[in-house]
Amino acid sequence: MRSQWRLAGALLAGALLVTGCGGGGGDTAAAGGKVNLTFWDWDPNMDKVVDIWNQAHPDIHVTLSNPAGGDQLVSKMITAHQAGNGPDIAKVEYQSLPALVSNQVVADITQYTADTVKDFDDTTLKATRFDGKVFGVPQDVAPLMLFYRTDIFDQYGLKPPTTWDEFKQAAADLHAKAPQVAMTNFDAADPGWITGLMQQGGADWWSSTDNKTWQVAINSAASKKVADYWQGLVTAGTVAKNPSFSPQWNKQMNEGQIATWISGAWAPAQLGGIAPNTKGKWAVAPLPAWTAGDKTTGIWGGSATTVTTDSKHAAEAAQFASWLNTDGKALTAQIQNINVYPAATSGRSLPILSSPPAFFPNQANYYDLVKQVAPSARSFSMWGPDVTVTFSGYTDKFGAALQNNTSFATALDDIQNATVADMKKLGFTVG
Amino acid sequence: MTVSVNSGRIRLLPTAALVLGAIYCVVPTLWILIAATKSKTDLFSTATYLPSFGAGIWQNIVDLSTYQGGIFWQWMLNSFGYALIGGVVASLVSAACGYGIALYEFRGRKVVFNVILACVLLPQIVLAIPQYLLLSNVGLTDSYLGVLLPQLFNPYGIYLCRIYAASSVPQSLLEAGRIDGASEWKLFHTVGLRLMGPGLITVFLLQFIAIWNNFLLPFVMVNSDSKFPLTVGLYSLLRHGAAEASLYSLVITGTLLSVLPVIALFLSLQRYWRLDLVTGALK
Amino acid sequence: MAARNRAKLPYLLVAPAVALLTLFVVAPGVYALVLSFQARKVVGGLLGGGSKLVFVGFDNYGLALADPELWASIVRMLLVALLFIPATVGFALLFALLLDVPRVRLARSTRLAIFLPYAVPGVIASLMWGFMYLPATSPIGGDHVDFFGSTTVFFSVANVAVWGSVGFNMIVIFTALRSLPAELYEAARIDGCSELRMALRIKVPLVLPAIAMCTLFTALASLQLFNEPNTLRPLSNAISSTWVPLMKIYEDAFVDSDVNKAAATSVLFVIAALAVSFVASRTVSRVNR
Repeated sequence: MRSQWRLAGALLAGALLVTGCGGGGGDTAAAGGKVNLTFWDWDPNMDKVVDIWNQAHPDIHVTLSNPAGGDQLVSKMITAHQAGNGPDIAKVEYQSLPALVSNQVVADITQYTADTVKDFDDTTLKATRFDGKVFGVPQDVAPLMLFYRTDIFDQYGLKPPTTWDEFKQAAADLHAKAPQVAMTNFDAADPGWITGLMQQGGADWWSSTDNKTWQVAINSAASKKVADYWQGLVTAGTVAKNPSFSPQWNKQMNEGQIATWISGAWAPAQLGGIAPNTKGKWAVAPLPAWTAGDKTTGIWGGSATTVTTDSKHAAEAAQFASWLNTDGKALTAQIQNINVYPAATSGRSLPILSSPPAFFPNQANYYDLVKQVAPSARSFSMWGPDVTVTFSGYTDKFGAALQNNTSFATALDDIQNATVADMKKLGFTVG
Repeated sequence: MTVSVNSGRIRLLPTAALVLGAIYCVVPTLWILIAATKSKTDLFSTATYLPSFGAGIWQNIVDLSTYQGGIFWQWMLNSFGYALIGGVVASLVSAACGYGIALYEFRGRKVVFNVILACVLLPQIVLAIPQYLLLSNVGLTDSYLGVLLPQLFNPYGIYLCRIYAASSVPQSLLEAGRIDGASEWKLFHTVGLRLMGPGLITVFLLQFIAIWNNFLLPFVMVNSDSKFPLTVGLYSLLRHGAAEASLYSLVITGTLLSVLPVIALFLSLQRYWRLDLVTGALK
Repeated sequence: MAARNRAKLPYLLVAPAVALLTLFVVAPGVYALVLSFQARKVVGGLLGGGSKLVFVGFDNYGLALADPELWASIVRMLLVALLFIPATVGFALLFALLLDVPRVRLARSTRLAIFLPYAVPGVIASLMWGFMYLPATSPIGGDHVDFFGSTTVFFSVANVAVWGSVGFNMIVIFTALRSLPAELYEAARIDGCSELRMALRIKVPLVLPAIAMCTLFTALASLQLFNEPNTLRPLSNAISSTWVPLMKIYEDAFVDSDVNKAAATSVLFVIAALAVSFVASRTVSRVNR
């Protein structure tokens, strides 16, 4: 009998011994020794940028890991934090930042970034600064823009629309002349896309007037205006129902069955991977406006580089985060390899941005256009503390609505109710 | 056995039906092979059932191998590691337990066996998330051990080993050994294990496949992509492809490459599949 | 001396298994139970000054049971099971019987081919079939048939599961068939009985235990449905993030970061699964008698 317990005890002891094998958090370095930091990031080719740092900083070594992307990374960070083995640095999308702050996963780095924040305008900083404290260094900003196929437009006599009414008309014209070509695709799988459109439409999904109570307005009139507009296009059959990047969408892009793509400024590099044969056939224009002359646009994603509360070397981690997003060499490498549009003001004037991206040789003033649009890109006042619930609600409800041809407005109501219920369950005050 | 079969005709209908079944089972792998021969650009633009005989497949393999510094091959290694080590240790644990229960009378014997039987009926997968939560308290998440340890317990394997030990290790042999002065431990590993050998290989293969195929446990347990097995790695590639172009070719090529080694293993180990064990257990 | 050793050894032999059982089955179960009675609440402020764990009794269970998504996921799982179980056992039985027909050709190769999908992980199988279902890349008419329609999606998911399971079950039944003494039906054969009648009247009843066992296995497997819908989800609009109960539990735990509600749902699920398995295995043993 005793031997049984002895064996169990030995097993447990052994298990505890190998706790050291548990990966993740930074090692404690001997005083003056090498510091090792782990960095979670899903940008393709980020390893090339990290290499530049590692070569220049032999005493602070950054190891890149790519466990998951976007939403999935957020949940991994929360569970890793609860297990105590999170990374030192992590890429966090702006919409996920409040949830991580609320769960105390992301650290306050105000003291390390006094100089860094000078390189960002206030609108951008709003996404990472709460209650006067800085929780991340903004990496990129992706204003929504309209990418269109110049050859398809020429073929069917279309002009880049400047208002949503013109867009609807152009879609109808295209559908009449070439029913197999869709004007664009409605993406029910990427909430970042729809929130960008909602932002442009004037919706403000989360806000707070007194910094204590939340106002949640997912099904506001402005949101429903946007939803109804797109419902019209889907019902008329002028837009495709496939999510961007899906295999079906890939095929349509390759075969010229999609005329435009509403996307962020990082689109050119992606297009190069999706449909390499269409090089030189694309151009970018500002997103169609709700009223003529209005320059507002929304944002599709964008993230910040954050330091986690688990990190044992917050100062060095913050140093890396600042370097990554303000240093000229780092930003140039990012633009070159990852095709991000930098959030840093200085980054927007880098020499590399004076020539168009490789995939758009026909549009020399590409980055000038982006630079013009960027200042009028607006986001929500705040992102809620449980954005994952809202976002998975979006993919489920809008996916079902597309599948069953039911109302988008009702889907918005469902998402509103689910979000508010979840916030109340967590103990937040919702007004 | 002299029996005259009523006709010398080849049984056409059963053969045809079996061939159809075989085709159904082989077609997806065949299709993946064809899809993997297409280069990234051709994947979505050429006829899907015609392979490309260009350099497509080689280029795809190169792309896959250079993605994130060759992490695909790390995943392959991890899968083999988890399955091999897990399979061997689990088989030994099962063998010891099954042998002990079958051939010895001891206090608590019935209780232990009944609890283990109950575990056979428990969907193991449902434990993955509680296991993660528990292991996160001792810091074993995101480690190789965190993936291995929970899979060392194989209730069905213990059940099979018990049946097999009872039927293949005669008590009389053990008694003879004891009279000769051999210790119990010696009896176990010289007599018992050897007699149970063939059955153990089946138990090992069953557990190997179970670990090789496991997705939810490593998915939940592991954060560093360098520790992913193939199942989680390829799934993460698929998910990344939802935000980044041109990963589909990699997913397809990876799928093909992941299927080949196990098929090869299968083919070479055919004669060890003693599944009469499974049905013999019912008698 | 020997007697003392003999008394000690069985405990030593059984110890590793029992230790693993305690650590990785019992302990997680108990831990899940404990978690299920707690919840995380924020402490003040807009973004919260952090959160704390509080005891909430059966609240989580109430929330879980009142959640329509959970019931919807259970219904969907049952629908897939309704397709998956008969198809797997049926085809396994059919192929096993066919293999047992004398003079059938290509038996070894077809048997191997049908068994091979067992070695393919569910995730990988879903990837392969997923691309075969997609209109963009489908060689089986995916551009004419919508494999991801609201009703067809059940068949599509079940198909992947059937594909992976027929082989193993076929071998189990086939092995049982092979162990039947040949004299049993040689007499019938000499009397001119057709293979079909022999199969139905003699063979099937005799391998009923094996068939029952396969049904039990497939029933257990259908409760654990996760890999197939989860992997097919990025490829279609028809599968939501909580399509089957296990996906719901995963989503609660890792997307909504509500491990407590997930723990409650897990406990409920384990109880339900054990109940179903218990009933099923009782039926199996009754068949055996």
